[in-house]
Amino acid sequence: MIQILSVVGLTKPIFLHPSLAPLPSSFQIRTHAPSPTSFSLLLIHSLQRFKSIVSFYAVCFNHILLIARHLNPVKTLEMEWNQQTLQFLSQSFLDTLSPHPEPRRRAEKNLSDAADTPNYGLAVLRLVAEPSVDEQIRQCAAVNFKNHLKTRWVPSSANPIPDGEKEQIKTLIVPLMLSATSRIQAQLSEALAVIGNHDFPKLWPALLPELRSSLETAINANDFASLNGILATVNSLFKKFRYQFKSDPILLDLKYCLDNFAAPLLSTVESISGKINEAAGSAATLRQLIEAQRLCFRIFYSLNFLDLPEFFEDTADKWMNEFKNYLTVRYPALEDAGAEGVSLVDELRAAVCENISHYMEKEEELFQKYLKGFVEAVWSLLVIASASPSRERLTVTAIKFLTIVSTSVHHALFAGDEILQQITQSIVIPNVMLRDEDEELFEMNYVEFIRRDMEGSDLDTRRRIACELLKGIAGNYKEKITERVSTQIHNCLALFAENPSANWKYKDCAIYLVVSLATKKAGGASISTDLVDVESFFRSVIVPELQGQDVNAFPMLKAGALKFFTMFRVLIPKAVAMALLGDVVRFLSSDVNVVHSYAASCIEKLLLVKDNNGVQSQARYTSVDINPVLPVLMTNLFGALEKPESEENQYMMRCIMRVLQIADISPEVASPCITGLTTVLNRVCENPKNPVFNHCLFEAVATLVRRACERNPSLVPAFETCLLPSLQMILAKEVTEFFPYAFQLLAQLVDLNRPPVPPHYMQIFDILLTPDLWKKSANVPALVRLLQSFLQQAPNELNREGRLRLVLGIFNKLVSSPSTEEQGFHILNPIIENLGYDVMAEYMNHIWASLFTRLQNNKTARLVRCLIIFMSLFLVKHGIQTLVDSINSVQTNLFHAILGQFWIPTLKTITGHTEVKLSAVASTKLLCESASLLDPAAEELWGKLLDGIVTLLSLPEEERVEDEPEVPDFGEATGGYQATFVRLHNAGKKEEDPLKEIQDPKHFSVALLANLSSQFRGRFPPVITRYLSPANQAALVQLCRYVQVKKGREGYYKLWSGVKWSLGHTDSFEVKSTFW
Amino acid sequence: MISADCHDYGFYVLHDGFGNAAVQRRRHHAVSVAKERREAMFRTKRLCTEGFSNDMDVHVAINGDMMIEEEPSVLEAQTSSAVEELKLAIASKGIDTVQKKVNALRELRRLLSRSDFPFVEIALKSGAIPLLSQCLSFGSQDEQLLEAAWCLTNIAAGKPEETKSLVPTLPLLIAHLGDKSSLSVGEQCAWALGNVGGESEELRDLLLSQGALIPLARMMLQDKGTTVITASWALSNLIKGPHSEAATELIKIDGVVDAILHHLKKSDVELATEVAWVVVYLSALSDVAIDVLMKTEIVQVLVDRLAASNTLQSLIPLLRSLGNLMAGDAYTTNILLDPSHETTDSIIRSLSKCLKSEHRFLKKEATWVLSNIAAGSVTHKQLICKSEAVSLLLKLLINSPFDIKKEVAYVLGNSCVAPPKEESGGVPSLLLDHLILFVRNGCLSGFIDLLKSSDLEAARLGLHFIEVVLRGMPNGEGQKLVERADGIDAMERFQFHENDELRMMANLLLDNYFGETYGFDDE
Repeated sequence: MIQILSVVGLTKPIFLHPSLAPLPSSFQIRTHAPSPTSFSLLLIHSLQRFKSIVSFYAVCFNHILLIARHLNPVKTLEMEWNQQTLQFLSQSFLDTLSPHPEPRRRAEKNLSDAADTPNYGLAVLRLVAEPSVDEQIRQCAAVNFKNHLKTRWVPSSANPIPDGEKEQIKTLIVPLMLSATSRIQAQLSEALAVIGNHDFPKLWPALLPELRSSLETAINANDFASLNGILATVNSLFKKFRYQFKSDPILLDLKYCLDNFAAPLLSTVESISGKINEAAGSAATLRQLIEAQRLCFRIFYSLNFLDLPEFFEDTADKWMNEFKNYLTVRYPALEDAGAEGVSLVDELRAAVCENISHYMEKEEELFQKYLKGFVEAVWSLLVIASASPSRERLTVTAIKFLTIVSTSVHHALFAGDEILQQITQSIVIPNVMLRDEDEELFEMNYVEFIRRDMEGSDLDTRRRIACELLKGIAGNYKEKITERVSTQIHNCLALFAENPSANWKYKDCAIYLVVSLATKKAGGASISTDLVDVESFFRSVIVPELQGQDVNAFPMLKAGALKFFTMFRVLIPKAVAMALLGDVVRFLSSDVNVVHSYAASCIEKLLLVKDNNGVQSQARYTSVDINPVLPVLMTNLFGALEKPESEENQYMMRCIMRVLQIADISPEVASPCITGLTTVLNRVCENPKNPVFNHCLFEAVATLVRRACERNPSLVPAFETCLLPSLQMILAKEVTEFFPYAFQLLAQLVDLNRPPVPPHYMQIFDILLTPDLWKKSANVPALVRLLQSFLQQAPNELNREGRLRLVLGIFNKLVSSPSTEEQGFHILNPIIENLGYDVMAEYMNHIWASLFTRLQNNKTARLVRCLIIFMSLFLVKHGIQTLVDSINSVQTNLFHAILGQFWIPTLKTITGHTEVKLSAVASTKLLCESASLLDPAAEELWGKLLDGIVTLLSLPEEERVEDEPEVPDFGEATGGYQATFVRLHNAGKKEEDPLKEIQDPKHFSVALLANLSSQFRGRFPPVITRYLSPANQAALVQLCRYVQVKKGREGYYKLWSGVKWSLGHTDSFEVKSTFW
Repeated sequence: MISADCHDYGFYVLHDGFGNAAVQRRRHHAVSVAKERREAMFRTKRLCTEGFSNDMDVHVAINGDMMIEEEPSVLEAQTSSAVEELKLAIASKGIDTVQKKVNALRELRRLLSRSDFPFVEIALKSGAIPLLSQCLSFGSQDEQLLEAAWCLTNIAAGKPEETKSLVPTLPLLIAHLGDKSSLSVGEQCAWALGNVGGESEELRDLLLSQGALIPLARMMLQDKGTTVITASWALSNLIKGPHSEAATELIKIDGVVDAILHHLKKSDVELATEVAWVVVYLSALSDVAIDVLMKTEIVQVLVDRLAASNTLQSLIPLLRSLGNLMAGDAYTTNILLDPSHETTDSIIRSLSKCLKSEHRFLKKEATWVLSNIAAGSVTHKQLICKSEAVSLLLKLLINSPFDIKKEVAYVLGNSCVAPPKEESGGVPSLLLDHLILFVRNGCLSGFIDLLKSSDLEAARLGLHFIEVVLRGMPNGEGQKLVERADGIDAMERFQFHENDELRMMANLLLDNYFGETYGFDDE
């Protein structure tokens, strides 16, 4: 299993995407070893499901390709299309479907090697078109073709497709797509969209005219399969207009598309409309036509998104007429034939609703005259759809339309008491009531249910959108709505009271309304509501559920009650909550997945509640509160991990992690916990599936180790006994996605050991120096972290068996690339700090050479900052003269050049408390104690350096530092598909200050300067006037005053001795993830 | 580390949103896919139903009355026969030829002046164009020239292909604009050309290449009201782009600038309105024109006019001209609208008047101009915030249709952010007084409504404002306000949005201001 790459720090990790829930199925293929057919079906099936995830195909294929390593590549200069190529490709694609790993891997390897040869894409496309080849092989080739384009079409990609080949592909693909069978057509249509994303329209002027004329041909020939293929392609090409900001380039593209396609689109719609009327009785034709019309309406949406084009304004009557038609006409041939037929027509109606919603929102003036008619049509449709099961999509888009109307200037349409009554009664309540599908989801797919119910990915569910409508109307008629909804809630509860076991859904409805109409509050910590009095509602409605003795009875109500508790946790007084804690712990043992998940999540969230006592915020619940229930809590949590489908339940693991962070960890607790966690760890190593679960698991281990050993260092060996075998197994079995975690845990263990480091760790030290490990970017931060630990705990070991040379090799490699330069310094700094200069001296020339080469060829602002910090550390550790001599031995007078060109200009951009202190102290020492700088000839350098120091010390960080463009993380640098690095908070390193003795760098600097100026009376004032900006001259005076105030309390400075040092800033590698 | 990121990002986007981009936004997008609404209705082409010389008006009136009774089929036949008559008249030789021609032309013109029947099509089919072209030849009597040009004017007011049929006659029409022809003939020809120019970019280019610009511009220098009106209208059709060359050329013609100022000061509303439209296009298209105009008293003149005008037709070009002129760059705005000067007060007063108007379009244009002023210096922002405009804007943000809301959001947003100071490295700071004033008056919910819309630009405005509120409101009040206005929910909609900028910003704001304490770093 592979984690999905995510963009560091900026986006939510993609793995939280709801549609990824069934991810494991595609990866279990190998272990289940199904027959070839079922494999391919499964593959294609799962591929279809993941259509929306951009890189998924690439992921799948790369994953498969990665497996194969050692086979003979087919190396040709250019792939020629002949019988031999056809044979090779067909066989390879067939083999990729093989249930046996050997031929499959070989085929995958062959294909991935062949992909580098020119005309590979063209050859695969030809294979797709080859009617004599088996459909299954062609389909596989089509998928491969599309992935090939995805990674190689953009000219900036690692191995771009040559221009000539591209042109040929562009010529071939449209007719090929149109003549292909539907599955292949879908793949080729997407491939076309991939090309379009980059080339359309400017680099592919022939495309749109070609599509337009094919469209005409297809319509005239009643060739509806081609029609749909063309429309689907156009639809994906035009989608870009839906999510880009308005700008001249995008408007130019839009104009081009409008000029070429707006009129044909209208005539297509009209002619499809006519054909739909003719085909009224023929379900098969109708099916294709309804789909075609839906695509037309989606294209309409794209073309109208940015602005209202003149063409559509002029033809608005025609369009609105068409739209209304589909909202009001029924198609018995499809709709009476079953749910699938209904949903097909509903998709079309939903597309209409989206279009009129858009017009309502943005072109309200134009739309005004149609509004009333549409509101009526949508209304009638909705009353029917709300009463029937399913029809979710239509209901959602239709209610969305009404919501937009309710918040517009025309909200008065909904002002009447009668209308409001109808809305709550006939639309909202029926849609909020649980349906069979909800119950089914609750039982069959608890992960998805929770995502929708609790994590707000329900924006497009009918329950949620019904509440959105209420909120929309409440914008103008708050009191009326509050009153009506309160009445409805009351009615629901009354019905429930009449017959609790039959009418339980009414209670669920009441709870849902209260939770959904509440306003979210900061911290995701809580919500508030005007609908009910939370405390009394909690006592009268929720508590009885929570006190129910059967943890498996009426599970949806129990889940609702737990959710209510979780959501309103801040408002529930501590005493009330504490009285229920035992009950919630009890629900951890429910057999229903949602119920035990909600119980775990409730506890976890409670532990995060903070109270503000006016001075600071403090956790409301502490170890004292959970210690009494701790044993049964842990037992139930680990117990739930044994229940079916909850083996990797992330809510459980997150709760375990949170409890371990807060509870008092006695050896009695630690021992079963580490055993339990290790067991789980060993299990997930077999087939890592759920990244969130795994992350929480490692975090839990790190917490446990840290907190237990803090209290009781003697536990370290016990933890080692438990953990080391698992960690070694991860390394031995190459569970690569866990490498970053394993290295971080190892680093934590190394840190916990008192020197000398036990010998078994030294083996790991040697493994650590294997160059291969460092090739994967995700490993690097963790490896650096581990290496740092070794360098500090065992500096002397470093000097043996040539290890130092290897470490410096790694440094050299890391520092050579902008994406890893900072990591390079994380290695270099502890070396310079912990080793004697005599050991280092022979390597210094090489180190400077690689640093200065970077500086010369490809410097980044960060590199210069890191370099200043490194030189500062060098200076305070080994003395000024050593630094100057060492640099000057590379080239005469180099030091002053570096100082003038890099150090001084960049000094003011240094950030971070420790870093500022270090560089300020080092710079001042340089200023006051370096003979060469004190030489009158170096007056200018001296003045400017002082100017830099004053800026650094007098201005706060945000005023000194300018915005810097985001530097891409190294996931991009190495490309491909790999595990990401996720930092374990609890295995982190504490930042240590190499200058502990100096408390205040301002004080230190001024003192040193004062001393200097008393030595050289009258020499510096003119220099200061000349080289310091007026602002800095004033700041310098301020600094001196500041120090005078503090003088007398401390001595100037003490000499510092060997202190541990690390930069400790690994934040930039952290993947930010906010879990609900 | 994280909070620093957000900070920077916040600054960055604000800068982009309410700072520089606001300046760029002042200019309409160069590429327009949308219709030029409203003005298109009454500006692009005009049918000429009234002549310029008094003696003919009599005929028109009489003939007009007579025509009402006639059947369409009869009219159709009349049209064809009118063309036939003309053909015969041209072919005939004799003393009364000229009168015959004039009579035939008059009959044809009479028919073509009716807008409710497709006479143009019939006339064209009957071969009217070459005949009319012949009638335009130099040396003909004014009456004949006038009637022929009038016929062409109304043919050009027809459908696109009908307008195009004038192409062979264009050189003659243009030639008559000059000194060799009488003013009334020139005026009628200008009208015909105006209709041609209003049709399409292609025909505009053709007219320009045939040298229509300079003689038309010279007509603007005349003193006769109708001449200037027609010439101005024709010019505005001629220079309206999308390319800027014509506008730039026009402004460089001697006397044009003076004429514009001169006419704008006259009491004739129609005249001033037409001239103002020329200013609209000059300022919308050409930076050179803006430079030239800015060196004159134009703003003062426009502002005076704005204060004195009350009709939709006259206000629109004035508003738009002012908005466009301020679109040069912040520097010109600041110089031009000296905050201490009466002009600036006056313009804000006049704009407030428009904000109160019933016409949605006036409200929108006025808001747009205000957003341009609000993008100026801190003093400008203060002027707006002290005026009655603020209370009007705050009401509009809540109660008006979407497009106006969006414009209002720009004004309010711009008014909360100060232009970056030099030493701060391009980071704009906040004007807390204004922010607090707006927020206290309930504008946050308006911005959050924008955030919930499907319009990306509006959503971006909403996000920027939320960022400002979160960052700027004292005592961390921002978080509470945003959550009370259901802002968290609104931002969460963007967590998986396809637009990178919106997604990143929403997630950053959520993480940094509303993120759950992850719980690891506390100990």
